[in-house]
Amino acid sequence: MKILTCPMNGPRNINEFQCFGPVKNDPDPATTSDADWARHLFRVDNSRGVITEWWRHVPSNYFFLAERNATTNEVIRTFTPQDAEARP
Amino acid sequence: MPLRLLKYAFSRDYPVTGDIPATPDLKSSYDVVIIGGGGHGLACAHYLSKYHGITNVAVLEKGYLAGGNTARNTTTIRSNYITKEGIAFYKEGVQLYEEMSQELDFNVMFSQRGQLTLAHTEATLRSFHLRAEMGKHAGTNIEVVDAQTVKDLSPHLNMDEGGPLEIMGGLWHADGGTARHDAVAWGYAAQAARRGVEIHQRTEVEGFETDQGRITKVRTNRGDIAAGQVMIAVGGMNYDMAMRAGVELPIRCYPLQAMVTQPLKPWLHTLVSSVSLHTYLVQSSRGEIVIGGGSDPYQLCSTRSTLDMKEHLSEGATHLFPFLQGVRLLRQWAGITDMTPDYSPIMGASPLKNLWLDCGWGTWGFKATPVAGKYMAQTIANGRVAPILEPFTMERFARFELLNEMGATAASH
Amino acid sequence: MTRLPAPWGHRINRDKPVSFRFEGTKFTGFEGDVIASSLAANDQWMLSRSFKYHRPRGLMSMAGSEADTLVQLPSDPNVQADRHQISEGLLVTAQNVNGSLANDRDAFMDKLGRFMPVGFYYRTFMGPTRNAWLKFWEPLIRKKAGLGVLDTNATHQNYEKANLFCDLLVVGGGAAGLTAAIEAAEAGADVILAEMEPEIGGALTYRRDSSDLLHDLRNRATACPNLRIMTDTLVNGWYEDNWLPLIRGNKLFKTRAVEVILATGAIEQPATFRNNDLPGIMLGSAAQRLMRHYAVKPGNRAVVLAANPDGYRVALDLLDAGVELATVVDPRAGGSGGDLANALHTKGVKTLTGDITEAQGKKHLKSVTADGTRIPCDLLVMSVGSVPMWQLPCQAGAKLSYDQDHARFNLTLPDAPLHIAGSVNGLSSHDAVTTDAIRSAHQVLAQLDLPHRDIAGVEDTEAVLANFEPTITAHPKGKDFIDRDEDIQVKDLQNATREGYRELELIKRFTTVGMGPSQGRHSALAAARIVAKATDRSIAETGVTTARPPFAPETLGVLSGHHHPAERRTALHQEHLRLGADMRPVGAWWRPYFYGDKTDARCLIDEEVRAVRENAGVLDVSTLGGLEVRGPDAGEFLNRIYTMAYKKQPVGRCRYCLMTNEMGTVIDDGVALRLADDLYYVTATTGAVARVYADMLFWNAQWQLDVDVLNVTSAFSGFNITGPNARQVVEALNSNIDFSHEGFAYLEGCEGRVAGVPVRAMRIGFTGELSYELHCPSSHALTLWQAIMEAGKSVSLRPYGLEASRILRLEKGHILIGQDTDALTSPDELGFDWAVSKSKPFFIGKRAIEMRRNKGLPRKLAGLSFDAPRDSQDVPQESCLVLRDNVPVGHVTSSLYSPTLKKHIALAYVHGDDSDTGTQVTLKCRNGKRVNAPVEGHAFFDPDNKRQEV
Repeated sequence: MKILTCPMNGPRNINEFQCFGPVKNDPDPATTSDADWARHLFRVDNSRGVITEWWRHVPSNYFFLAERNATTNEVIRTFTPQDAEARP
Repeated sequence: MPLRLLKYAFSRDYPVTGDIPATPDLKSSYDVVIIGGGGHGLACAHYLSKYHGITNVAVLEKGYLAGGNTARNTTTIRSNYITKEGIAFYKEGVQLYEEMSQELDFNVMFSQRGQLTLAHTEATLRSFHLRAEMGKHAGTNIEVVDAQTVKDLSPHLNMDEGGPLEIMGGLWHADGGTARHDAVAWGYAAQAARRGVEIHQRTEVEGFETDQGRITKVRTNRGDIAAGQVMIAVGGMNYDMAMRAGVELPIRCYPLQAMVTQPLKPWLHTLVSSVSLHTYLVQSSRGEIVIGGGSDPYQLCSTRSTLDMKEHLSEGATHLFPFLQGVRLLRQWAGITDMTPDYSPIMGASPLKNLWLDCGWGTWGFKATPVAGKYMAQTIANGRVAPILEPFTMERFARFELLNEMGATAASH
Repeated sequence: MTRLPAPWGHRINRDKPVSFRFEGTKFTGFEGDVIASSLAANDQWMLSRSFKYHRPRGLMSMAGSEADTLVQLPSDPNVQADRHQISEGLLVTAQNVNGSLANDRDAFMDKLGRFMPVGFYYRTFMGPTRNAWLKFWEPLIRKKAGLGVLDTNATHQNYEKANLFCDLLVVGGGAAGLTAAIEAAEAGADVILAEMEPEIGGALTYRRDSSDLLHDLRNRATACPNLRIMTDTLVNGWYEDNWLPLIRGNKLFKTRAVEVILATGAIEQPATFRNNDLPGIMLGSAAQRLMRHYAVKPGNRAVVLAANPDGYRVALDLLDAGVELATVVDPRAGGSGGDLANALHTKGVKTLTGDITEAQGKKHLKSVTADGTRIPCDLLVMSVGSVPMWQLPCQAGAKLSYDQDHARFNLTLPDAPLHIAGSVNGLSSHDAVTTDAIRSAHQVLAQLDLPHRDIAGVEDTEAVLANFEPTITAHPKGKDFIDRDEDIQVKDLQNATREGYRELELIKRFTTVGMGPSQGRHSALAAARIVAKATDRSIAETGVTTARPPFAPETLGVLSGHHHPAERRTALHQEHLRLGADMRPVGAWWRPYFYGDKTDARCLIDEEVRAVRENAGVLDVSTLGGLEVRGPDAGEFLNRIYTMAYKKQPVGRCRYCLMTNEMGTVIDDGVALRLADDLYYVTATTGAVARVYADMLFWNAQWQLDVDVLNVTSAFSGFNITGPNARQVVEALNSNIDFSHEGFAYLEGCEGRVAGVPVRAMRIGFTGELSYELHCPSSHALTLWQAIMEAGKSVSLRPYGLEASRILRLEKGHILIGQDTDALTSPDELGFDWAVSKSKPFFIGKRAIEMRRNKGLPRKLAGLSFDAPRDSQDVPQESCLVLRDNVPVGHVTSSLYSPTLKKHIALAYVHGDDSDTGTQVTLKCRNGKRVNAPVEGHAFFDPDNKRQEV
């Protein structure tokens, strides 16, 4: 079983977590065309390299972000949404 | 004893049929380049060469023939879907399987022993009724059966009477069955090769050159090829391959795991699957119990297996058949599934004029091998999407015309 | 046959004889014997018949590797006879036998080999008619398939699971594993050593000249307090982040190790020649195991095929055990056993340079042909090389490569907390293995920040001699087996390449080589060599094999352990049972279906419905999801989550909640009661609350609003008192809430105390009648329930169950999320535009709802009713199709008989163009009959909704 390190709860077995999928940009409904909105709805980053995803620690219902290689399954880092905003 | 066996017995040397020719040199140009030497690509090559007279065809396979999901799936063939578009398509798929051994002169061992899907809740039973009504209306062999009939069809089932997983009924699909997956691919390959189709193993497509909305060149690790028409059918690699041509598909990849026990004398005669337990079982012609279930819970392009999934599938299997506790597991494995938002495939045209898609098969492409091959070949030969494939266009998402088959996939495939 | 004298046979207890039966005959062995050793001691060498040709087979490895030693116990198929210990009265039979093992009626299959070349079944069994395979050939072949027989009446056994944690897990308790474990433990690491055999020592327990080293290691191991030794424990796989399943008996230890050393040893390989599968032909290590572990003399007159020093050691062992040694055959050109050969020569044993091309015998070995000479013998011992036990390392990402110069396989490890030591690392001599183990232990100690030193890798002069590359040519008459499990001969692999199956994986699939119970342990190497030669490539080009877990067969029982599906019960479960409720599972919950005797179900359900319509009923709604949304931004948060507007909702008021996803699909509904400016109490449907709770915080992780959400589903219980006389019930309660018409209007809510219990009260309901819903902490649920029942006595308040609730809600046309909606249902399709705010700038799904609206309405949920006798089959039941020009355009989502209205009522999706009231639509009943009905509104009963507001 893989280990995932929750920023709040520390390293835990990955079956304590639920993946909420790759992060999507939040387009502005006012300025986005129907076609682009449909793309926003249905398209998900499925690249084989490093993807940034939302994860949830289920027992604590805590959400955070993880950078994970979608081919090797290596977790590069986990961090909070606040940390993400703090990044340059 | 079948007469053909005598041919072997009375030949001094082993009589070679030569199913799959050795990989030839790449030509500079083909009428059709099929990317992906799995069941779908090879079936398309067969139909192109036999029924459309198109034989200047190259099938490009980056590894060995049919080594991807064709080799890794659990070979279920069925048409018990819920959308009328899906049922029409898979119904013909089942019919083509019924004729396949004769069509290919290769025994694909289509074993039509029926599929029994179990309902442990009223909600499941309700969805089974809908699948049965849709299927009956389309003329497939399907019905909802009560608990007693379930017991008659699979006498060893734990009915869990009075328990939380009491079997309330089932969906009986007498048309369902299995086939020998490798044989399907090899049979198509041998037929296509006999008509002049070139099969290139260890040939990886690295990229494309496009001009004015057409693919002009296919770049491979063995050189560039010009192509009249190009089809993508690369299973777990579909998203990446389409991206190399600049086409963005709404696909996410998840591993799908399965496992198999040691061979046992036959005792399980139908396919049995449980929606609530996310588990299905079938006994192969070798006597092994093949056990499969739901996908992994997060995106991954890897065929690694996990202990958790094995534990989960064992829980399901031993719940349905408690006496399986003592049966020994031999092997577990995984394939990479290319899932779409509505669990239905994406077939037909792409934004590039000569690029055709046979993608998004997710957990259930094997059963569509002949029918997808047939109609993709027709589409490529005519330069126009076959009507039966039209609903499966990649444009359906933006139109909110989804073909939702979530309930009919998952554990019950 | 008598046993060898001690010290041979240290595993058996000669004071304790054990009797058992094999194939009906009684045999006696000793405590500590395995089935195969005790049978061999009684000169019973044949254990099974082979899969395809039904050839006699016996033990070859004594290591539980091959299918040939699989036997049947009454409730346990495919048991390894060379690993399973005998017990008093054990009943053992042979597998894959038609008749008896001695007289197998299918033995003729051996003669039909030429009719059954590789892959023959792909080219035959197809005629004469299209379904001949299914109707005729397959049933015939299924009869021959499989090995053991499953006991479908097998009794339930107890399986357990546990977790283990350690700094270092050492897999394999041989010289390397023991040395590494001791070295690391002595330096302070917390170490687990797992050994699959019943004793530690590995090859030291049977190899010549090993007892001193073994004794020393055992003493040191015993003195280590932080070294846990687990014998009889199989490490059966490697999974991500050093997560390894350790199996001991019926118990699975899921083990997390910081570091892992794989000291898994090597697999001795058989030689390839005609009839190499006869009983009496075995590996050198198998002969040594028989002698040293079980005191069994492996034969009377032996030939040893020795291509390495170990072969000569086995020959010396055989002499010591009193076996007549006919000759030692060394296939290496100029090969010699050095000092070991001299020792043999002084004892008068001849050495022959050459190869064995054939063995003879019917049910047991009688002679071998070596270099054209036939040598009578009843034992052939093969010692021709080994491969590293590649399975666990390869599962962990190691690569197996071939070193052409030394004819050996090497493992290259990934960059991971994983190490190998000993013969799995290509080493053979005791000194080299020990040094390598110490090296690996110090690598681990360095990773663990414990005292360590750098130790260089070792070169082993003996290991260089240990392997040689034989030329494998197909015997003209065949039966030179590469894979005994699957009866695969050399020519089968060669012919497969000629058919075009040139890639190793294709050959594996076409021939099934390596697919049997041994999973290629004895065939992968030889197969790679044959394929490389047949396709004119190097082994590096063809590749070798893949390794998939598990390492060895493991039972489904040990994997599943104790498993019980999740079940949830409300606080009133016992009370419902006391009231005679028929409890049924709904999702994870057990809920009352109705109250009373099962045989009167319909009548009782009708009475429950009538009680609500005419008097008063009470329903346990504790399974309803409950969420508390708290914080200054709570109103804004609900505005974004749900389709209606909540910011201006007054405190003390309830408001409907409709949730859509980003695609504009309806996914949940409920009611929000505003308890304070910054606190809403929100209900969610039973099945969806877990997801709604997760989704709420998922969105807020992105929005970062000042709000928190608490899932209080289990903390609260709830009861809905409903019916024209409901007010009389609640007003009779001892409470500080004004339940009067004036004091408590429809859709109002408040907090208060009822019967001394803190409650949240709401005037909401699902029945369309005057309704009060009281929620309280679950610990007080019984008190509140009893108070309600007491207060209801004057009006004969009746508890009602789920089925009545469904009828009541359908009579009012209320939708059930998940039943009347599916993965594509938009609010417009439900006619719920009233519930979708037009003024809010944003809520989840808003844009998609608008986009979908612009594309037109494909279908709409309509009310339909049918005047037909109650039991009529000519009524569309749930899931029946709505047809338009005979094409399905929708289906019935809910359909029930209304005892109130005395007709069948239903909700169904009809085509968008047919959704106007009065439009005739066609439906297809389950019996195929078509019926027409006009579209109606959803509310069949009290369409003006007067009753709930009284």
